[in-house]
Amino acid sequence: MTAGRIFTHEDLTKDLTVECDVCVIGSGAGGAWTAHELVKQGKRVVMLEEGGYHTRREFDMTEARAFTNLYQELGDRGTDDLAITILQGRSVGGGTTVNWCSSFRTPDRIIQTWRDRFGIDTLSTEILTPHWEAIEKRLHVAQWPLEMINANNKVLWDGLGKLGYERSLIRRNVNNCLNLGYCGMGCPVDAKQSMLATILPDAVEKGLDLYANCSARQLEWSGRRVTAVKAEVIDPAKNRFTGVRVTVKPKLTVVSGGAINSPGLLLRSGLDGEGRVGTRTWLHPVVAMLAEFPFEVKAFSGAPQSVSSHHFIDRGPGEVGFFLEVPPLHPLLAATASTGTGALVQDMLGKLPFINSMLAIHVDGLLPEETGATVRLKDGANFKYSITYDFKKAHWDAFRFACKEMAKLQFAAGAKRVASLHLDPVVMEKPEELDKLDAARFEPVRMRVLTAHQMGGCAMGKDPRTSVVDPHLKFHTMDNLFVVDGSVLPTSLGVNPQETIYGIARWAAQGIATALA
Amino acid sequence: MKMYLPPRGAPDTRRGFLKKGLFGGLLLALGGGGYLFTRRSAPVPMPGGLKVLNAAEYAVMWAIVQRFVPAREGFPPPDSIGTAVAADGIIAMLEEVTQGEIKQLLMLFENALPNFLFGLRTEPFSQLDPAEQDQVLAEWRDSRLTLRRTGYRALRGIAIAAYYGNQATWSAVGYPGPLPGIHDPNAPVWKGGEQPRPVGNGTMLESAPMEQP
Repeated sequence: MTAGRIFTHEDLTKDLTVECDVCVIGSGAGGAWTAHELVKQGKRVVMLEEGGYHTRREFDMTEARAFTNLYQELGDRGTDDLAITILQGRSVGGGTTVNWCSSFRTPDRIIQTWRDRFGIDTLSTEILTPHWEAIEKRLHVAQWPLEMINANNKVLWDGLGKLGYERSLIRRNVNNCLNLGYCGMGCPVDAKQSMLATILPDAVEKGLDLYANCSARQLEWSGRRVTAVKAEVIDPAKNRFTGVRVTVKPKLTVVSGGAINSPGLLLRSGLDGEGRVGTRTWLHPVVAMLAEFPFEVKAFSGAPQSVSSHHFIDRGPGEVGFFLEVPPLHPLLAATASTGTGALVQDMLGKLPFINSMLAIHVDGLLPEETGATVRLKDGANFKYSITYDFKKAHWDAFRFACKEMAKLQFAAGAKRVASLHLDPVVMEKPEELDKLDAARFEPVRMRVLTAHQMGGCAMGKDPRTSVVDPHLKFHTMDNLFVVDGSVLPTSLGVNPQETIYGIARWAAQGIATALA
Repeated sequence: MKMYLPPRGAPDTRRGFLKKGLFGGLLLALGGGGYLFTRRSAPVPMPGGLKVLNAAEYAVMWAIVQRFVPAREGFPPPDSIGTAVAADGIIAMLEEVTQGEIKQLLMLFENALPNFLFGLRTEPFSQLDPAEQDQVLAEWRDSRLTLRRTGYRALRGIAIAAYYGNQATWSAVGYPGPLPGIHDPNAPVWKGGEQPRPVGNGTMLESAPMEQP
């Protein structure tokens, strides 16, 4: 097998048509593993990636460069009303190039829920386990040792210990990690075992042709078959189309653009699944609290996420559960995620080395009344979508509860001052002031809600009337179209999603190879 | 090939409202870009090289930047590091449709009509004194109308990102910046083909760690 190639906009100066067995659209967690498994079986695979091919040569550990090159919409993707800020990757490797390395297998109770509620009888913990084992070996997934956790994670660890809450060390996909803290800007030493550093080059060695800066705009189809993928080359300096077109004519197409861009491509192509494509999108909505400590926390230094707590993951019937982690705080992210007046931002950032932030990441999609986010095309936009999130009372109740619990943890760990991320922040000097949060308004665009996990929108399920892809991830009404990425998840997960998507992709690739034969 | 249509019986008129663009509905309700009071925007020196904003829009962006980065010891003044120009640069990287919305929003902020309706002020935003400008910002932030809070959030985000995205602010916030000697600007870029793949932390070899400079 001769090696494939990686092409970028510089190589793509005139229109091009390529034929292949499989066209994979998107190079993130789902696309990378799917393509890798298929080239391993000798299939000719062409991959299209809208983002650029950025490598450690460019990863200079600055946020300004990272947000411009490695994130959707410069790191400021959001819902239409900006109630939720959506951090999502956009480069070769997708989200795995910029995530914080947290690696969890899918919780068994979630897989059971999929089986019970959506008839997904193809997946089980047993079926996925050998895939996870192979993936974890290749990506060096291992628990981060307690003695290596940074002071920011130590705040969470200590707070959880003091209050007697469940706490665990996170497993990370790193090899020879230098414990620097710049995972979100692209790993400068390829220690992060992202798709960019591992599975994509493995696949290229085995024959994958990867076209970066190449945005799939439309699937051409007739009857039950996709006949061509039409793509436009992007000039990354301007983020505009150059006018050069790439046409791929595959026997089978795999859409792996993630939970927002995959529905976008399908909607542009007129494959709307009778209106279901882009609905029931789950975002793991995150609320955060800031705390000032009398000692240095340096949340910008060291492995960003090494401690988590699932103490509140199941809060009983009718309630939204959440899990707790911490984010790294570099100045640009800290400033843009902050709230309050300019002077308040200066107060906070002026003490950046002493600031801890805690995240409550909410499990959406499990309550019967939830419909989550809806992704629709936006008139006149190429890369931006109309996204709305239908918050329910249970979400706001959970956010308020979570903010109080986080404040308790921060005070327990020694915080001097704790602040919410309300547009007009609620500031508390001692635990007795927690009831200030009872008086605060928890409403859209009154407080910051973020997400770094996008799921759903092309949900898998047995019943074509309530799902978009079948339990083998084939698009219900098409014979040679699959969706393999976070968008197929029928609910959110309650853990960071990368390893779930890896596992499902590696498993789904077997079925895809069979469908091709 | 059928074209995309919204699902049958798609509810709520809100979707149609938003379809006009983020701020379209509100603008319409307030009489669009027409000024009730036609005072000119405060004269702000117009720098060269702006990519998107015109003089009037730039004056509003400049004023908003000043409010989100008030003078404070240790923090470089925003003009000294070209923050309002950087804001224009950020807007230039966005899609045209979003650029249009932001330009509309800036002029809505400036427009004396909504300022009059909401706060009984007769001056455009850029001509108010700083304390009044802060008051207008707070009114947008605390408004009962989601669209105004969204507008506040959008402009604040651009101003803050333009300032704190600049490395000149690092010393003010106690940020050491990247450790020297880690990033290798000459690291090989592998694009497949005949070229052998360089050995590193991402290759399967479990041997020695990749050499650090």
